[in-house]
Amino acid sequence: MLKLDKVNSFYGRSHALHDLSLSIPKGQITAIVGRNGTGKTTLLKTIMGLTVKSTGAIDLDGTDLSAQPTFRRARAGIAYVPQGRQIIPDFTVRENILMGGFASTSGRQVPALVGALFPYLTENMERPGGLLSGGQQQQLAIARALAANPQILLLDEPTEGIQPNIVEDIQNIIIRLNRDEGLSIVLVEQNVAFARRAGHHFAMLEKGRAVAAGPIDSLTDELIHQHIAV
Amino acid sequence: MLDTIFIGLSVGSVLLLVALGLAITYGAMGVINMAHGEMVMLGAYTTVLASIHLGIGLLGAIPIAFMVTALVGYAIERLIVSRLYGRLLDTLLATWGVAILLQQAVRLSLGLAFFGITIAGLGTGLQNVRVPAYLSGVISIGGEQVSLYRAFIILVTILLTLLTWFIMYRTAIGAQVRAIMRNPDMAAACGIDVKRVNALTFAYGSGLAGVAGVMMSGFKTVFPDMGTPMVVDGFLVVVTGGVGSLMGTVLSAGLLGQINGLTASVSNDIIARAVIFAVVVTIIIWKPSGLFSYKGR
Repeated sequence: MLKLDKVNSFYGRSHALHDLSLSIPKGQITAIVGRNGTGKTTLLKTIMGLTVKSTGAIDLDGTDLSAQPTFRRARAGIAYVPQGRQIIPDFTVRENILMGGFASTSGRQVPALVGALFPYLTENMERPGGLLSGGQQQQLAIARALAANPQILLLDEPTEGIQPNIVEDIQNIIIRLNRDEGLSIVLVEQNVAFARRAGHHFAMLEKGRAVAAGPIDSLTDELIHQHIAV
Repeated sequence: MLDTIFIGLSVGSVLLLVALGLAITYGAMGVINMAHGEMVMLGAYTTVLASIHLGIGLLGAIPIAFMVTALVGYAIERLIVSRLYGRLLDTLLATWGVAILLQQAVRLSLGLAFFGITIAGLGTGLQNVRVPAYLSGVISIGGEQVSLYRAFIILVTILLTLLTWFIMYRTAIGAQVRAIMRNPDMAAACGIDVKRVNALTFAYGSGLAGVAGVMMSGFKTVFPDMGTPMVVDGFLVVVTGGVGSLMGTVLSAGLLGQINGLTASVSNDIIARAVIFAVVVTIIIWKPSGLFSYKGR
């Protein structure tokens, strides 16, 4: 279980998260919802240790990670699939996947799971990542995260800016990774329908604070109307 | 003619050894290391000291100079540069300060001059390194006479360039360096210890500059501020070649070395220098990101 306790996070002078406390249960999908600019991406970056400064406790199965540098958090089993995917354009598909393997404790290799989930990638291992379409790059970013052999996957708007015919594929893969592989997933998602379909729990952010959290059933239309819908 | 090309190639070789280190550190870390030229100077002085105190010749001085300058580079990275990441101007000033400090350390025999002690080979004066007999003289290639020492410089540079290429493209640590060059945050999120890799990269780049210093000591006088123009030349090569491109650095060092050699052979070194600057300015106006820049998506 990943527990955040009174986490504050900063970018330079701007205070992006305020006293955020949150529990991410093991083996489940926790959806993070909220408007643009409410701190969802910052929350994931803070868990990874990629913001300029943060305070508070970030506890993974009894170990406090808040003082650890980013690479130790990755090696502790947290993998990050960022917004915009951030694959390396002049690395081949294989090199991009293997890059994730630096966080793995069991050696650097392309996991068998990648072959099962993403046949396109296994057929195009030597292609430069930059030549892939948005959807393929998203698959690649997920494959890179899987190469770390993680316990927890942080996904930042995994279906944003992707051609519609691939969106559902990626959504199903996310659900499958949780259901079949037992991965805990933190899913930042603007698409409430998918958050409801995939999530077991949710947390609603507004202005860097958690304004609601609980089992996904309690993510009511009323809550959404109040905090997301304009 | 062949001899002129050889001179150009050997000038380009020394430039390349200096520039490779700069290209890697500037590319991977975005740090402008003003003390890089002093690594060349330290490499040259290591050769002088090894010859006077240990009786080791130029060839044997190469690994020693590499180790010495790599260690100094590692210390500079750990003590100063690593605390200033993302603050370009501050690193520039700080490393400039380090450069002055290193020059004075050599002038003052590591500070012992204050106590009236001098170390032979250090101090303000000029030093010379004797090129061993088996590296001096000329050899004949295709009927033309070329300097054996220049051929040796070119050979060492080729070997070190191949080694650098191998490390960068065929080893795990090289993959880490390249990942950091492209996206340091994502590299860290993939479990790469960015700080450690940066320190090692810095040390390796400094070591290459140290070897360049050994090479230079064989055909130039050794003195405390000999490194200052080298850092300028190194950056000319890096900027012309394109930041983050190993191939660009190699080709641009070759190009600038040839222009320097050819111009100097028909006129003199001063004119050659002016021509180099003119060429570099033209290239930067025409292609601001260098001849072989890495293209992002």
